[in-house]
Amino acid sequence: MMKTFKMYLEFTRKSFQRSAAYRVDSWSRIIGNIMSLGIWGCIWFALYHGHDSVENISFQSMLSYILISMALQGIHNAGTPLWEIQYRVRTGDIAFEMLRPYDYPLRMLFTDLGSISFHFVTAILPLYIVIFALFQPDIPLSASQWGLFILSAALGYLIRYSLELTFGLFTFWLIETGGVEDVFYFSISLFSGSVVPLWFFPDWLERLASLLPFQGIYFIPNAIFIGELSGQEIWPALLNQVIWLIICYGLLRFVWNKASMKIVVQGG
Amino acid sequence: MSLIEVRHLCKEFKIAKRQEGLTGALRSLFHRQYTTKIAVNDISFSIGTGEMVGYIGPNGAGKSTTIKMLTGILVPSSGEIRVNGLIPYKERRRNARQIGVVFGQRTQLWWDLPTIESFELLKQIFQIPPDRYRQNMALFNEILDLDEFLQTPVRQLSLGQRMRADIAAALLHDPKILFLDEPTIGLDVVAKERMRSFIREINKNRGVTVILTTHDMSDIEKLCQRMILIDKGQVMYDGELTKIKETFGKTRILIVDFEENIDDFSLDGVEVIKQEGNRRWLKFNREVHTASQLISQISEKYEIKDISIQDPEIEVLIRNIYEHNYTLDQVFTDKTRI
Ligand SMILES: Nc1ncnc2c1ncn2[C@@H]1O[C@H](COP(=O)(O)OP(=O)(O)OP(=O)(O)O)[C@@H](O)[C@H]1O
Ligand SMILES: [Mg+2]
Repeated sequence: MMKTFKMYLEFTRKSFQRSAAYRVDSWSRIIGNIMSLGIWGCIWFALYHGHDSVENISFQSMLSYILISMALQGIHNAGTPLWEIQYRVRTGDIAFEMLRPYDYPLRMLFTDLGSISFHFVTAILPLYIVIFALFQPDIPLSASQWGLFILSAALGYLIRYSLELTFGLFTFWLIETGGVEDVFYFSISLFSGSVVPLWFFPDWLERLASLLPFQGIYFIPNAIFIGELSGQEIWPALLNQVIWLIICYGLLRFVWNKASMKIVVQGG
Repeated sequence: MSLIEVRHLCKEFKIAKRQEGLTGALRSLFHRQYTTKIAVNDISFSIGTGEMVGYIGPNGAGKSTTIKMLTGILVPSSGEIRVNGLIPYKERRRNARQIGVVFGQRTQLWWDLPTIESFELLKQIFQIPPDRYRQNMALFNEILDLDEFLQTPVRQLSLGQRMRADIAAALLHDPKILFLDEPTIGLDVVAKERMRSFIREINKNRGVTVILTTHDMSDIEKLCQRMILIDKGQVMYDGELTKIKETFGKTRILIVDFEENIDDFSLDGVEVIKQEGNRRWLKFNREVHTASQLISQISEKYEIKDISIQDPEIEVLIRNIYEHNYTLDQVFTDKTRI
C-alpha cells in the first residue's frame, strides 16, 4: 500500500522535474492567466461603475471572487489530462500503458499533480501574493475558513479532473471531438462560475447550474473564499461537491473500463 | 506444462467500412458496416523455459498480433494462452511483472525525460530492490554502453541508442520471459551485433526465455535454435533451424567465371540456374557429386577464371515459402524450386 503510493508519487516528482525543463510553457501560461485576469477585472469594474453593490455583493467581494477564481484556474490549467489522453489515443501509445502494473487514470492524476505543484510554487503563488497585496481584496479571516476553502478547492479540482479525463476517453468512440470539445469547455467555463458567479445568473439558468456538477469546480470554493458561503451553509455545499465527485469518479471508472476493453479487443 | 502454451489461438479484427459520400457518412453514424480481418488463424505452439525462439513471417503475417496477445494488451477472439500459468489479458498486471517487452517500432520510455529517469521510474513501478537495480544497471551498462546517453532525453536518442535503452528497460525487473518485436529494426551492423550478443547473454546466463520477431534472417541464424514460421496467421513450420539447413544442404551452388562466353555449356548432374555475362550459377546435389569432381570436369573442357561454392541460404528458402505460399513439406519435396 505504502509502496504503491510511493510509486505514484514518483510520477509526481518526475513530472515536477520535467515542468522545470519547460520554462517557456510555464511563462506563456502565466501571461495568459494575467491577461484574462486583466480583462475580467476591467469588465467587472465597468459593470460595477457607480454601484457599491450589485445583488448584495460588494465590488470588494467581487474583486476577491475574480482574483481567487483566476488563481484557481491558473492551477487547473497547469494539468493537461485531456490533451495527454487524446495524444495517447491518437498515437496508439495508450495500449502500451496497459503493459504497466499501475492504474492509468490514477497515474495520470499523480503526474498532473507534479506539474501543478511546480506551476503553483514557481508562478501562481508568488504572482497572486503580489496581486493580493496590491488590491487588498477580502480574504478568509479564520484558519477554519482557509481550511474549508482549501478542502473545497481540492474537491473542485478532482471533479474537474474526473470530468475532463472522462471526456478525453470519449475520443475512443468519436473520430472528431472538435465541436463537442467546444461545448464541453464552454459548459465548464459558464456553469462552474469561473468568471460570472452563479448568483448573477437569471433564475432559470441558476437553477440549471445548481443541478450540474460544474458549480463545484470554482463557484463553491470561490464563494467560501470570499465569505459569501459561511457558517451552516458551507456543509450542504461541500456535500454537493463530495456527491458529485463520487458520481464523476464513478463515471470515469466506468468509461475507463469500457475504453480499456475496447483497446484490448480492437488493438488500440 | 511448458512455460508458454498457445492453443488454437485466433484473432480477428472488425474494421468499420467507410461509406461513400455524405449520405454514406450519415448512414454510418447509425448503422456501421464491418469487414473482418483474420490476423491470427488457429495458431498453436508451446515454448519451454530457457528457449530462444524466432517468430518469423512476412509483413502482415500476424507476428505482432500474437506478441500483443501474449503480453495481454490484446484479447484473443478464441483459443487459449497461458504464460507461466497466467492468462495474460485476464491478469494483465501480474503478467506484466513476469515479462519484458520491446516493440522495436516504438519506445516505451518516457519521451521527454532523461533516459536515466525512465529507468528510475521503472525501478519504482516494479519496486525493484535497490541492490538488484544497481547490479542490473551495471551489467547492462557494460554490454550496452548506456553511460554514453543516460543523461540525454529519450526523444534525442539515435535509433540504436533508443533500442539499447528500451531493451535494458524491459529487463530491469528481471522478467522470466522477454518478448522482442523487431529488436534489430533499423540498426547498423555493429549495433545489430551488439544487440544480439546482449540477447544471447541474457538468455544463456540468466535463463530468460526469449521470443523474437525479425525480418533479418541472420538474427535467427545467430540466435535461435528453433524457429516458428507463420504466414497469413498460420504456422507454416515449427522446428529446428538446423533441420531445414540439413535438408537443403543437399543442394549446393557452384559459381563459375569463365574466361570467355560459352553458349553451349552442359554437364551431367548440373543445372544452370542463372547466368550473367561469363558467370554461371550451377546447381548440383552434393550427395551425388562432389564439388572438386565437378570443378575438374569443367576445367577439362573450359578455361576457368574464378570459382566459388555457395550453400543455399535460409533466406532463399524462406522467400520460397512466402512467395509460393508453400508449406515446408512442399518445399522439401519440390526441390527444383530453389
Ligand atoms: N488493430 C488492428 N485493427 C485491424 N487490423 C489489424 C490491427 N492490427 C493488425 N491488423 C491486421 O492484422 C494483420 C496482422 O498484423 P500484424 O501487425 O500482426 O503483422 P506482422 O506479422 O507483425 O507484420 P510486420 O512484419 O509488418 O510487422 C495485418 O493484416 C494487419 O493489417
Ligand atoms: Mg509487426
